[in-house]
Amino acid sequence: MRAHPAPARLAALAIAVLLCVPPVSAQYLNHGDLTVALRNLAGRAGAQAELVTIATSPAGRAVQALRLGAADRPALLVIANAHGPHLVGSTIAMTAAARIVAERVHDSSTVWIIPRLNPDAAEAMFGSVRWARTGNGLATDDDHDQRSEEDGFDDLDGDGAITQLRLLDPNGAWLADSAEPRLLRRADVAKGEVGRWTVVSEGRDDDGDERYNEDPAGGTDVNRNFSYDYPAHGREAGLIPFSSPEARGLAEFLMAHDEIAAIYVLGPQDNLLKPWENRANAGIMNPQTRERAQEGTSQGGPLNSILRGDQPTFADMGRRFQEITGLEKGPASAALGGDVLSWAYFHFGRWAFGSRAWWAPDAARDTTARGNGARSGSGGSGGGSDPLADERNALRWFESQGIDAFAPWTAVTVAGERRAAEAGGFRPGVLLNPPAGEQFDSTMARQGRFIVALAGMLPRLELRDARSERVGDGVYRVSVEVANIGTLPTHTDLAARLRQPRRVRLDLALGGATLLSGEAIQLLGSIDGGGRSTTIEWTVAARAGSTLTVTAGSPVTGTASQTITLR
Amino acid sequence: MRNVFACFFVAASLAAALAAQETAAPLGNLAAAGSPRAPKVQVMWDRYYDHAAVGEIGRRLQQAHPNTCRLSSIGKSHEGRDLWLITVTDFTVGEADAKPAMYIDGNIHSNEIQGTEFSLYTAWYLCEMRGQNPWIDSLLAERTLYIVPTINPDGRENYLKAANNASSPRTGMVPRDNDGDGVIDEDTYDDIDGDGHVTQMRRRSPYGRFIQSPEEPRLMVAAPPGSQGEWELLGSEGIDNDGDGSVNEDGVGGYDPNRNWPWRWQPQYVQGGSDFYPTSLPETQAVVNFVIAHPNIAGAQSYHNSGGMILRGPGVPQDEFRPQDVRVFDELGRTGERILPGYRYMVVWKDLYIVWGGELDWFYGGRGIITFSNELWTDFKLFETSERPNNRYDRPEYEFDRLLLFRDAFVDWKPFNHPQYGPIEVGGFKKTFGRAEPGFLLQAEAHRNMAFTLYQTWELPKVEVDSVAVRSLGNGLTEVTAIVANRRLVPTHTQQDLENNISPPDYVSLTGGSVVAGYRIVNERTGQSVEQERNPARLELRNIAGREVERVKWIVRGNGPFTVTVSSTKGGTHSLSR
Repeated sequence: MRAHPAPARLAALAIAVLLCVPPVSAQYLNHGDLTVALRNLAGRAGAQAELVTIATSPAGRAVQALRLGAADRPALLVIANAHGPHLVGSTIAMTAAARIVAERVHDSSTVWIIPRLNPDAAEAMFGSVRWARTGNGLATDDDHDQRSEEDGFDDLDGDGAITQLRLLDPNGAWLADSAEPRLLRRADVAKGEVGRWTVVSEGRDDDGDERYNEDPAGGTDVNRNFSYDYPAHGREAGLIPFSSPEARGLAEFLMAHDEIAAIYVLGPQDNLLKPWENRANAGIMNPQTRERAQEGTSQGGPLNSILRGDQPTFADMGRRFQEITGLEKGPASAALGGDVLSWAYFHFGRWAFGSRAWWAPDAARDTTARGNGARSGSGGSGGGSDPLADERNALRWFESQGIDAFAPWTAVTVAGERRAAEAGGFRPGVLLNPPAGEQFDSTMARQGRFIVALAGMLPRLELRDARSERVGDGVYRVSVEVANIGTLPTHTDLAARLRQPRRVRLDLALGGATLLSGEAIQLLGSIDGGGRSTTIEWTVAARAGSTLTVTAGSPVTGTASQTITLR
Repeated sequence: MRNVFACFFVAASLAAALAAQETAAPLGNLAAAGSPRAPKVQVMWDRYYDHAAVGEIGRRLQQAHPNTCRLSSIGKSHEGRDLWLITVTDFTVGEADAKPAMYIDGNIHSNEIQGTEFSLYTAWYLCEMRGQNPWIDSLLAERTLYIVPTINPDGRENYLKAANNASSPRTGMVPRDNDGDGVIDEDTYDDIDGDGHVTQMRRRSPYGRFIQSPEEPRLMVAAPPGSQGEWELLGSEGIDNDGDGSVNEDGVGGYDPNRNWPWRWQPQYVQGGSDFYPTSLPETQAVVNFVIAHPNIAGAQSYHNSGGMILRGPGVPQDEFRPQDVRVFDELGRTGERILPGYRYMVVWKDLYIVWGGELDWFYGGRGIITFSNELWTDFKLFETSERPNNRYDRPEYEFDRLLLFRDAFVDWKPFNHPQYGPIEVGGFKKTFGRAEPGFLLQAEAHRNMAFTLYQTWELPKVEVDSVAVRSLGNGLTEVTAIVANRRLVPTHTQQDLENNISPPDYVSLTGGSVVAGYRIVNERTGQSVEQERNPARLELRNIAGREVERVKWIVRGNGPFTVTVSSTKGGTHSLSR
């Protein structure tokens, strides 16, 4: 691991300088500021950069991708903010990009960043009334009443944010937690508890259908619109996978960029603190034969977990992530299903890693003393038997920092509602996005370190030990070792079962020699990283002194070539 | 591809055929039963039409029958061809897009061509029969047919005009690297002898394991036990174009357009040919967008070949159709077996094979539409029997070719000097035989399959206000009771539709008075009712099942007359006043 001088402040400052605004207000960027920042970054990287629009959101916002580094070599792609309220992802991507330019990482590595895949949803965090929107700008009839967006949220307490609404209700399922009365938990009927509150989101029943805020602005959640375990007919999932221009634009972008070897997704799905594992076969049970077919086949249906062969790499990357970032544990990953991270591996065959990036640290520990790379074991008691543990901790931590993250329950009047009502709850996005200060800086620093490190871990081919051996008169045995001197294996095991990314193709240019055994063109299996190799042999008939050329390459590994002179 | 002459010949002869029909004087005739008496558009239904001709037939139908037929395009193919839509209905009655509709397409697989002609025949037949047959007239007054003769015009054009066999190409024309070597479509079939056909290759060999059948010398059979044989079989006509040691391993395209649909789509390792993501193909996208934009579509047919099947989903064991829907499919499918001798009503995954991301599964799973795929052409048609004689030295298809087609379906074996295999022979069945109907059976099969789709179209939901009863309650109040009916087999909402909230509910509304309260009567005998508090003048019904009725009532201030209107996205609209 390389050490960098105060990289957190540096990076935050770099982005602020680009925007000519002080770091605190530049912490999270609305669409306009993000667009300017992207353009400035591209300008600073000059010929090494390319800024493209991969989609236009239903509300007309450009989804942009920025390349830093040469176009024609294996690349890392960073995707952020597919989940609308996860603004920290965008800022991490932008900060890392600024750092890449500042440190000239792009001289040796290529990184694409898509800082905001769901700009319509993210923009709701910057309005006069902020709310945690997940759907894009496609007008949608969420409640199938033939009207679109007729019952959205309302800021009843006038605090500029949409939180929750609790209604005093003898049939309510929720009651205030005894230890932390601001938090609500489900009444346990088995223990004789009786609920006191019905909880909905903050707003009125605008259309009088006795449901609250069931058809707000927002159509398709981009992070539920991908095809792995797609939640068909689910809320905000879109009518079909890839119905959103953002998801489709990303798929088309990736099809056009087969050099992208690994994808890092900043969002609610994590597989670095708790690496994905291969699990027991859960293939489809044939209702006639009562036999369970192997998953990941026509008979067995979708893969339910990663391939066994890919498990060591996911485990190793988790270990590296924890070492580089100093993070050890955190809240559980959000469920997979229609999200971009699971799609990138299960359906697109790429190395795909995901991190939520931030959560409220463990309030019991001293969080101010954490330095660069220190193991903090921050946050996330992991839940255990207390479903409120994370929120309880977050409340304590925010309080210890003097941060107003929770709108106190306040009596409000709700038109048409007979029950007594109170608005309150965590303010939008506070559990996902670090506040300005040490937490923000350290998050930028550790994530920036990881992104730069990951860019250096892509597979890279080298040809070694190319040699010929005389078998008899004019007959030679020729061999070469194809080595991967990167860290990641050249391909996931899944790639061999997909058509992409393309495998390593090995060509032997005979230059007049006659091939006696072996293949002139062949496709190789995945080669593990860390210098491991596979040896290929041919026999040829040729005159002594003639030369053969071996070329090995694929878009995700780059190309290497060697000439062999027969002697 | 060295068949420029063949292409030119096909195109020229088609143009000539169409032109000749236009100018010839009509011949005196007596129309046969069930045939149009005086068709305005002359089309020969014993041949296969290229893309230009498909559009031209649509244009001529529109010109000759402007109140019955309209030609438009639902999008463009990868190579820029229009995906022609022929909308057939009685345009003088109601709104075409508000009537219960049947969607029909064909030719999703490039080589499965006759679905296009069957679709065109359907449009032609309906246009030409309108005004002559009361059943057709009422069908067209009530229903709309959206007919897309080919949803894969690029593949169709390649199949018709390039050298191919009966199974090639299945894929569309979007270039794909089938063999993963980084080069695209570099080793496809080759018409090596330049005769316009891709047939088979054989080579005389002392180690061969095949002989020419003594009864039918065109047929290659395994050498009988105890003998060596004289020939080796070398597969479909072609050469190793890219020198990688494999022959014909990276042809045009390289995917299966019927695995690219957004219902239970799965990647290559679960479903070969599914392509990179669901609806990655422009043709799939165009159809999906069209169907989503036309919620009045209640039934669908997607023609394939071959095997004589009336297929329904599910394509995968993970999906299980609800019993309410299975009953509807069963009644339609079993009647279909009567209409289509030699065809069997089957479930895709159980009776054929597993399909992830198939078209009919999206129609049903994604949109709740009752959908079939007919696998056209079956060997049953050769001699109108399912029995295949157990004769290893002859086969019914060879016998049929001899006795009924006079050897027109087969290219005789002839010598050729292959650049890689040396002296070989090339011969075999032409692409027009084996999966596509021979000419003289084409119209008959088109008619039978059309009859099945028209029967399904007839059985789409049709809602009516059956009766309205009015009773005075005194105090200026009136009770208005209405019975609304679905006259046909298919419910206004399939169970799949209901469970996933796909279509809006059916609405029963009252005008003519001020509605005080509105109720759905759940038990007519006991009078048990459920009040609809919101907007009682427009009552919502989740569904009206096939050949069932629903009852509603209102308490109204006023004495009428009252008009009750039932309106259903997939069942049409009807009013009754009293």
